[in-house]
Amino acid sequence: MTKLLSTFTALVALGLAGTASAADLVLYTSQPNEDAQQTVDGFKAANPGLDVQWVRDGTPQIMAKLNAELQAGNPVADVLLIADTVTLERMKEAKQLMAYKSPEAANYDKAFYDADGYYYSTKLITTGIMYNTQAAMKPTSWEDLTKPEAKGLVTMPSPVASGAALIHAQTLAAVPGLGWDYYKKLKDNGAIAAGGNGGVLKSVATGEKAYGVVVDYMPIREKAKGAPVEFVFPKEGVSAVTEPVAIIAGTKHAEAAKRFIDYVLSEKGQEGFLKLGYIPARNGMPVPAGFPARDTIKVLPIDPASALKNSEADVKTFTSIFGGKG
Amino acid sequence: MSRIVNGGNSQPRWLFPFVLIVIFMLSLLPLGRLAATGIASAFKGGARDIITDPALWQSVYYTLTTSFFGMLAAIVLGGGFALLLTLFDLRGKTLLGFLFMLPTMIPPQVTALAWIGMTGPSSTLLKAVGLAPPLGSPQPLYSVGGIALLYGVQHAPLVYLALRAGLLALPRDAVEAARLSGASSWRVLIDIILPLSLPGLAAGAAIAFVSGVGNFGIPAILGIPASIYTLPTLIYAKFAAFGPGTFADVSLLSGLIALMAVIGLAVEERVLLGRDYRVIGLSGQVAVFTLKGWRWLAEILLWVTLFVILAMPLMALVASSLAPAYGVPLTPKTVTFHAYDEILFRQSITRVAFTNSIGLSLATAIGLLVISVLVGYFLVRSKSRLVPLIAAVAEIPYALPGVVTAVAFILVFAAPIPVLGFSIYGTIWIILIAYFSHFFAVGLKPVVSAFRQIDPSLEEAARLSGAGFARRMIDITVPLVGPAAGASVILVFLIACNELTVSALLWSAGTQTLGVAIYNLDDSGSFNLAAALSVLVVIMVIVMMLVLELLANRLPKGVVPWRS
Repeated sequence: MTKLLSTFTALVALGLAGTASAADLVLYTSQPNEDAQQTVDGFKAANPGLDVQWVRDGTPQIMAKLNAELQAGNPVADVLLIADTVTLERMKEAKQLMAYKSPEAANYDKAFYDADGYYYSTKLITTGIMYNTQAAMKPTSWEDLTKPEAKGLVTMPSPVASGAALIHAQTLAAVPGLGWDYYKKLKDNGAIAAGGNGGVLKSVATGEKAYGVVVDYMPIREKAKGAPVEFVFPKEGVSAVTEPVAIIAGTKHAEAAKRFIDYVLSEKGQEGFLKLGYIPARNGMPVPAGFPARDTIKVLPIDPASALKNSEADVKTFTSIFGGKG
Repeated sequence: MSRIVNGGNSQPRWLFPFVLIVIFMLSLLPLGRLAATGIASAFKGGARDIITDPALWQSVYYTLTTSFFGMLAAIVLGGGFALLLTLFDLRGKTLLGFLFMLPTMIPPQVTALAWIGMTGPSSTLLKAVGLAPPLGSPQPLYSVGGIALLYGVQHAPLVYLALRAGLLALPRDAVEAARLSGASSWRVLIDIILPLSLPGLAAGAAIAFVSGVGNFGIPAILGIPASIYTLPTLIYAKFAAFGPGTFADVSLLSGLIALMAVIGLAVEERVLLGRDYRVIGLSGQVAVFTLKGWRWLAEILLWVTLFVILAMPLMALVASSLAPAYGVPLTPKTVTFHAYDEILFRQSITRVAFTNSIGLSLATAIGLLVISVLVGYFLVRSKSRLVPLIAAVAEIPYALPGVVTAVAFILVFAAPIPVLGFSIYGTIWIILIAYFSHFFAVGLKPVVSAFRQIDPSLEEAARLSGAGFARRMIDITVPLVGPAAGASVILVFLIACNELTVSALLWSAGTQTLGVAIYNLDDSGSFNLAAALSVLVVIMVIVMMLVLELLANRLPKGVVPWRS
């Protein structure tokens, strides 16, 4: 028994020691795991010898974690790569970000980065409609989801669990003719709003639901793998987030963090996103396979200032309609 | 002095302060910190918004109903298996017990995903055999009944272990005495064995109920799509929408859960009240009844049950891990090992998660074994009036959902530790101490119920013969509680290994646990990766169980819970 105990103790010590290694860079991201790993692998290949640790969760969850760490005065993250600029704008105002003027910014549209260098958009992720190929109706507009054919068959992510979903709701709520009334109609039609985009993808692809509101790359990628799904850009237009990257103020690894920003904005980094099925934000890049030409995608406008100001109220409005949370 | 205070049950002077320090660190400090935050916000008027929120009362209702029916299901399943496997002459007991332990080792969210994979329109398994229901068919598990059913499956082994520990401690003498007096097997079962095993059953039922109240993975996956929120998922949702009032809201909500748990435990106390079942005798000698002609029927019943609750969901899980994409029927042509390739050779998180979970679980199980034996001894033998209070306080962290334990420890350790001046927040140590707190009750319960069944006269005799505390512990007490203590180590290890909710809030870069990794993979839409990692976890668990099985002959009898 003593032998057994000492073996156990040795194992425990080994296990705990193995995790205590300090990384050269810590990335908090809302990208799916495979994508996060690819991004980190690409960065490490371009910067040999750097040890990168990364953490993935939905944007609101990542922010909850980061906020708790910031309140404790001990942020673990060095770099943030999350769904939307609105969150980063708020952090910029709260002085939680570090400015860095990346030389790569010259290749980007001015709308795609913060003029003071606090954050940079890395890609364009639109939110449209996916449907299961067995579905009776082929939706072409947002209104189609309120039709009787879609009764009880629509699912969408909740703004509580997804940064892109919040921007999407705020975008549609500002469209004349849609607005929050549109969401009430969806609710009356039996639509469900819960969880993140991953849950919507699964639900529609597997046939639990026929239609889903979801970010573009997920169904397009799954379709390429053989899943029975289609993605449409509704005729009113799509909402978009740009998955920006930023450095946390007070980072202990500022040099590595700057290199990370430069990498994801570089042509090589952007090609990596392209290969993963995202529309790169950098000028002069093609769109991934399965997407229509970039200039044919109609992106609905959103006012970042008012989106930021109203985000809490909008989440409340949304959850009061759908009664849902995470 | 202490000898006078403690009457005939002499204890070393350090035991009482030791127990107090343990209870303070693992329960009072974090819970007190949480309560202070809650009370402070209640004074600021934050309570009214919460209390008047209909969503709160709805989730209280759902928490109670799912946990109650889940407990009933766990009693039927776990109790049935424990009675049949312990008391009757069935064949293949070791294998049956071995397999029955598996569900509790599978992380709850994986159980939920596996069952979803088994039923409804999304089933890869049903698609593979061409039986999938049509598009948009309701998923029957997205309901109170579905959640309760999976609570039952998940927690049945807890009832099984607790009841079995009680049954193994039954004296053969009483049974033989009854037999000699002409009692039939049935009468012996009804009049002697069942009443004597009631403490074990009640302990198991209480653990099953509080586990249901605290479960997060199952209601998160089955409840949220149907807008069924239990308190843990409601709290998690509040955290996900982190705002200025979050800590206050969560501490108020956790007060409610604490209340529920205390009521549940009070009911258990009531059941045990006035029944002193201490018996003299060696444990592990159980009378075995013969079923004669009924034997094969009982065996078929058990095997079919296992097939439905274990084999089918696991097959569905394997099917999901081999599918190339969502909704693609699994055929020999579409099978791909891409998910395993990605998980094993590409994702750095896999190695990190395995190392963390195994290290944390081992450290928690072994640390709690030492603490549980000492505290359990104190709780049963001490005449101190504080005993019921200490016992109740020790229970609370486990009765609370993991997310609350996590919040409490964030509040305690967010700032650097006074005097020492460094912070453990964001490191693996905060998860470890939260695990100690959270799983304390799991480790303690079997040990306490074993102590309850030992007659103090054995120890008294040793004391009168001049044996000191250490000698009595080593020669008498520990061997007698050995089976229960062993069961408690295994329980803690298995539950900690699959833990999600505590670490869901405390994990940070490099400290991801297996539960977090699987949940995260699924959450990001990589269900096949989540399924593949889950399959690896199940394989790991089976391997560990087999190692224990091989070691079983060297361990005290009863340590390996599924062995007769």
